[in-house]
Amino acid sequence: MKDIEISRTLGYPREMVWHALTDSGQLAAWLMPNDFRPEVGHRFTFTTKPAPGFDGIVRCEVLELSPPERLVISWRGGGLDTRVSFDLAETDEGTRLTLRHSGFAGLSNVIPRIALGFGWKDLLWKKLPGHLGAAGQSAPVAN
Amino acid sequence: MTRVSPNQDPFRAIADPNRRQMLDLMLAEERTVGVLADHLGIAQPSVSQHMQVLRLAGLVDARTEGRRTLYSVRAAELRRVADWIAKYEAFWSDRLDALEDHLSRMKN
Repeated sequence: MKDIEISRTLGYPREMVWHALTDSGQLAAWLMPNDFRPEVGHRFTFTTKPAPGFDGIVRCEVLELSPPERLVISWRGGGLDTRVSFDLAETDEGTRLTLRHSGFAGLSNVIPRIALGFGWKDLLWKKLPGHLGAAGQSAPVAN
Repeated sequence: MTRVSPNQDPFRAIADPNRRQMLDLMLAEERTVGVLADHLGIAQPSVSQHMQVLRLAGLVDARTEGRRTLYSVRAAELRRVADWIAKYEAFWSDRLDALEDHLSRMKN
C-alpha cells in the first residue's frame, strides 16, 4: 500500500507550527488527547473513540525530533504498525507542512488488490467460489 | 494450540506475515491447509492455527469437498479492512484542517 502524503501551506511562522506539533496540549486541540513529550524515545499514546477492530488507542514513540523541521513518530493501532512524519519548510507564505504516513507496505500482498481495485475481478470475482454470493454477501458486479 | 478469543480483531489477524501470505494464496484460489503448508514451508498444525485466527476474524470461509476442507477468502470482509486503511487519508486531511483552525485561534 502506498504511503499517504499530504502537503499544506500554512500562513504561520514555522516555530508556531512546530509548537502546535510538539506541545501536548496543542496536539490534543487538533489531533487527539495524548501524553506526548518532545523527547526522542518517549513512548506515548493518542486516545480516541474505539471502533470495530480498533481499541481507540494509538501507541506511539518519538523516533526523530529536529526542531523546528522534522518530527517522526511510530503509529501503532488497530493492527497497524506504521510511522508518521511531519516536515516543516519555511516559505514566502509561511510554512509548508508535509505529512507522510508510511509503513503500510507490510500489507502489500493483500491490500492493494482490493483497495486499489486492480486485479479485483481477476483474483476475486472470477475465481471465488459461487457460495460466497449464495451466502448473501455483497460481491462486486461482474463485467 | 493457542486459544483464540472469538470475534478476533481482523486487523490483528492480517498483522502476521504468514497469515497475510495465506490470504494472498487464497485470493488466487481455494486452498487446503496441506497446500498452504507446502507453499509457506511451515508445519500443517501451524497453518491450522493461523487459519483459526483468520476464520475467527471472519476473513476466511471453509467448505468440505469429499474428505478435503477448502478455504477461501471472504472478499467483502477483507475489503472492509482495506477500506478502513484507506480512510486514514481522509482522517489526516480532516486533522490538518483542524490544525489550521487551531493555528488561527492561537494567532487571535
